Amino acid sequence: MTEERNEGLHPLTVALRDLDETAVNTLVEHEIDAQTPALRVVGYLNDGMVAVGRLFAEDEYFISQLIFSAEIFRGVMARLAPLLGGADPGEGGGKVVVGTVKGDIHDIGKNIVVTLLRGSGFEVVDVGVDVPAERFVEAVRESGAKVVGLSALLNFTYPEMKHVVDTFVAAGLRDQVSIIVGGSPVNEQVREFAGADHYAEDAVTGVDICASIYR
Amino acid sequence: MTEETRALYDLRLGRYQAAIALEPTDRVPIAAGSNYFAEVYSGNTNQETLYDPAKWLAAEMAFVRDFPETDVLRNNRLWGPQLDAIGLRTYKLPGRDLPARDQFQFVEREYMMADEYDELIADPLAFMFERWLPRVLGEYESPGSSRSYLAFLKSGMAQSMFAQIMRNRSAQLQEVCGMPQPMTGAFVAPFDVLADTMRGLTGAIMDCFRQPEKVVAACDRLVEEMANFALSTADPLRRYPIFVPTHKACFLSPEQFDRFYWPSFKRVLEILIGAGYKVRAYLEGDWGAHWHHMLELPKGSVVCDIDNQGDIFRAKKDIGHHQCLAGGIQDSEFILGTPEGIRSRVRELCETVGEGGGFIIGGGCNIPYTTKPENYRAMIDAVLEFGVYSPDIAPRPKDTAGPIEVRAFAFPKRATPWQVKKGELGGSVPGDERLIREPWEQLEAMAYAWLWQWTM
Repeated sequence: MTEERNEGLHPLTVALRDLDETAVNTLVEHEIDAQTPALRVVGYLNDGMVAVGRLFAEDEYFISQLIFSAEIFRGVMARLAPLLGGADPGEGGGKVVVGTVKGDIHDIGKNIVVTLLRGSGFEVVDVGVDVPAERFVEAVRESGAKVVGLSALLNFTYPEMKHVVDTFVAAGLRDQVSIIVGGSPVNEQVREFAGADHYAEDAVTGVDICASIYR
Repeated sequence: MTEETRALYDLRLGRYQAAIALEPTDRVPIAAGSNYFAEVYSGNTNQETLYDPAKWLAAEMAFVRDFPETDVLRNNRLWGPQLDAIGLRTYKLPGRDLPARDQFQFVEREYMMADEYDELIADPLAFMFERWLPRVLGEYESPGSSRSYLAFLKSGMAQSMFAQIMRNRSAQLQEVCGMPQPMTGAFVAPFDVLADTMRGLTGAIMDCFRQPEKVVAACDRLVEEMANFALSTADPLRRYPIFVPTHKACFLSPEQFDRFYWPSFKRVLEILIGAGYKVRAYLEGDWGAHWHHMLELPKGSVVCDIDNQGDIFRAKKDIGHHQCLAGGIQDSEFILGTPEGIRSRVRELCETVGEGGGFIIGGGCNIPYTTKPENYRAMIDAVLEFGVYSPDIAPRPKDTAGPIEVRAFAFPKRATPWQVKKGELGGSVPGDERLIREPWEQLEAMAYAWLWQWTM
């Protein structure tokens, strides 16, 4: 990475962006020792995750690097959790409900999206896999989230995605949420069929859509 | 087999083989390797496909009657009762764990721990029995229990029953319907053994960053195991390609692919190609950053199935002059699209990817279960309209039989080689040694292959 690229960035942000796990761990310990407020440390890490997302969007990083960055982030967040004093680092950020639709138990794509969203400062309600439509609606009611992300790997779930959208209509909540669909068998044709608002081609695009909704 | 059926079988197989070899043929083969639609078209549930071989066969025969232009169907690699006998945990099955009409699903977990690489590399067999199998096979959770012994016995018996089911199915489809198989025998790339059924994707990716040398060494160690498994399950007559679904390559960066995925995968492919086989590889996800490596293998040796996310037009430019390509129609187009949409897509494919041959039409590595029948029909009609190369060519199967010469493996593929057994018998036997040795070795080989199938 060039000096120019690091300009103005906190070393922790740079270390996470460059996937230097050892450096991230060392620098986090250093910040803890220096009594830097945990929320500020999380902020440096968020900037790092956003930078990773950007490198992915520029085709410099591939999914494996997203996954590794997410794991590094998860690891240090677990270390920071007791220091946050119950404060939710995502609080104040946008809320997003994310899950794999009913009939599908795959979670790789969903988990990448969840961690990237958290890493970018969103508060995420991860409703899991094989999720019935009613559960998505319930989660929106409970959290007040404005965005719902539906994930799938299997192509027989198209009607289920539509069912989730229809369930939001029936619940009278359709106008209050933006629904994003994503996953390997999903495309614009599937979005249109399901009646969703957005199709996210990959996890980073999904995060960008969430950011634009909350902007 | 009637003469007419024989001719149909020869025509279909000849057409399929010619496309694979990038040779001239009469038309674009309609030969998706995983025609899920055929299994449920007659109204069968997915549970019946996995649990009731007679219903499975009847469903496919009904499909062939209605869509006789189809050149191959799907061979299922799973038989429910066999998985039940051993309690395999890596799959959720319709009717057992899922609604009867859902499709089976893979359950990815960390079945091998990050610190167990050395054990796997040093002695895969011991690693399997001591670490991995008790986690993967529910009936072997308590090794040494009466239940675990009986489970192995039952599963071995089920293996023979399943082999008989598959032989019968293949023979019936061939002799009654004139239908060849899309592939016979299977394996997965060494990296996928780790990233599917051992460490899982996240674990394997962490390992690529944290202990890269171990990952490379494990993949190297798995080369022969996968080659041996593929050869033990392949068509002895070599009519059909060996199947490899590549699951996790699409997640890797080109540098990671070049270091962790390709070298060991290529060596397995070279062993199989060297033994006279073709391979049908599902390039799952987007292989655009990796598929140029297929140019390193002999021309016409690997059918590359391009998935929904892959750009088949780019694949044609990059590797289509060297390897046969399959696919081209989005899953969503089969499920949600219209006959008109399919027709125009097929026309576009035939005029571009199909140009000069080496193209098999289908979906992204499958024909979806919920395909609209009118869309499948539209694909066939459009192939007959736009996908004909030369009606004068009468495709014939290649002469693929003949002795298989496989380079000797460095590691034994037996738990107890004959020499060991012979030693236990006193170093010699009074009668004809061959009569004892050959069945001993055959059973050893079958048992050894049985073990490795759980990595699929």
